[in-house]
Amino acid sequence: MTQNYESYDPAPAGNRWGLPDLGLGVGLRTQHFRHITSKWPAMDWFEIVSENFIDTGGRPMHFLDQIAERYPIVMHGVSLSVGSTDPIDFGFLDKLKALAARTKARWLGDHVCWTGVNGLNGHDLFPVPYTEEGLRHMISRVRIIQDYLERPLVLENPSTYLTFAASSMPEEEFIARLAVEANCALLLDVNNVYVTCRNHDLDPVAYLDAIPLEHVVQIHLAGHSDNGTHCIDTHDGRVIDAVWDLYGRVIARAGGRATLLEWDANIPKFSVLQQEVRKASRFRSGLREAAA
Amino acid sequence: MRAAGRLETLERWMQAVVMHPQGAEAGLRSQSARRLVPAAARHPSAVVLPSKQLSSVERLEIYAHMYFARLVEVMEAEYPSVRQLLGPAAFAAACRRFVAKHPSRSRLLNGLSAGFPDYLARTLPRTNRSGLAVDIARIERAMEDVFDAPAAEPMTAAEFAAVGEGTRLRVNPALVLLELRYPANAYMNALRRGERPRTPRPRATQVIVFRRGFQVLRREQEPEQFRLLRALVAGKSLAVAVRASIGGRAGSADRVGRRLGRWFEEWAGGHLFVK
Repeated sequence: MTQNYESYDPAPAGNRWGLPDLGLGVGLRTQHFRHITSKWPAMDWFEIVSENFIDTGGRPMHFLDQIAERYPIVMHGVSLSVGSTDPIDFGFLDKLKALAARTKARWLGDHVCWTGVNGLNGHDLFPVPYTEEGLRHMISRVRIIQDYLERPLVLENPSTYLTFAASSMPEEEFIARLAVEANCALLLDVNNVYVTCRNHDLDPVAYLDAIPLEHVVQIHLAGHSDNGTHCIDTHDGRVIDAVWDLYGRVIARAGGRATLLEWDANIPKFSVLQQEVRKASRFRSGLREAAA
Repeated sequence: MRAAGRLETLERWMQAVVMHPQGAEAGLRSQSARRLVPAAARHPSAVVLPSKQLSSVERLEIYAHMYFARLVEVMEAEYPSVRQLLGPAAFAAACRRFVAKHPSRSRLLNGLSAGFPDYLARTLPRTNRSGLAVDIARIERAMEDVFDAPAAEPMTAAEFAAVGEGTRLRVNPALVLLELRYPANAYMNALRRGERPRTPRPRATQVIVFRRGFQVLRREQEPEQFRLLRALVAGKSLAVAVRASIGGRAGSADRVGRRLGRWFEEWAGGHLFVK
């Protein structure tokens, strides 16, 4: 069962930083601000899109401050652009640090991607060429960013829709080596693994097996759109069975990991999110029963 | 930190392709993309591999489509009344042209369309409908800015009671003053009521957009009322601001004198003055 904040009791960590298994959470979206701050519903934790709470002084921060007093918060960004060849934006890192301090964020992260170059921002998660050069570049940037933020960066595998001819290694190897060599944490998005593998004719089980689970501190679940020729990571519906199966495999190998349901379009009532994320508890409770 | 050449070239190339306003296929043929990877225009698979289902160009088109779709969606949420006035297709086309001309340089989306009202003023045909659309865009942009403005604590009744002629009031940072060429605020209200109003003729109007608590509000102001508020925003003392409001116009002094109390009551109720 989903815990509520009053009985929140982080489980022991199964990752190299000792970051806790926060239980089951959902993405915090404006549509649910009033419901959450009036009902204080059962939910172990919330994830915020960091950029939505930077340089804004009105309603979003008013609600976030209240919610952060009662639930653990995790910051998940979309524009750090770790893979970009533009200079690192230390001013933006300062803003992330300030928001993390204000919300007492348990951790913060972004994606294995770039979002723009030459001073522009595409506001999308563009794929990195999986080359030795790309890997060295990202490792050096992650180290600098972690050093500046004074905490591990939690990087998510993105959904990708193309493969660079220059790539010399599969995505999962690139991410695994990045995690180990930069000593960063991973957010394993199981839906993204499914989407990426569908788009590139890869085996999602082999992908998951290549990920160093001791680096994984968080898992994402989400729905996607299947266009027949390719899948798009739309976050607009329920998690499909194949993704639940992959989640079960990860949990069986890794043990409990903070798990979050993303739902960003056609956002339903909060109770629907609660029902959907509770499905994850059957995998987690299976673990507890096996351990008993 | 400077990255080595190949990675930087690939990123610049992909950006040039997927941010091209006519889509990835046109982006591949663009001068900026060809300058970076000349062979890709004729052989895109030399840079992006096809999948079993999609060609290299189709895979790039996914990103090109998502780039514009996402940013147009953001602007649709910010400018609902402009969209209603221009129509969804014309509005989306204007957004795409704007984004192509002024791509985002920020990590945040809330400033993406800051220049959109001015862009519409420069590019739309000179008709009353376009002029009205520009004014409505200014109001909707102000609503976005006010939404994100820092919070401030409103003055209390006791603090208002202590205000004298020499007082310089502190104005809420969540306040924008707009001088418009059309009765755009009234038109927006009619749209919100579900009416289909006719395009009005030009008529100068003064509108304030402000935030009371977390509610973004907009109000039309009388000309003297607007001049007075503008002077207060500029940091003038109350006495100087009142004189600026009257401006030596015949009858103005009496009118301002009669209405001053009501105006301040309205403004205080809207939390326009803060500690």
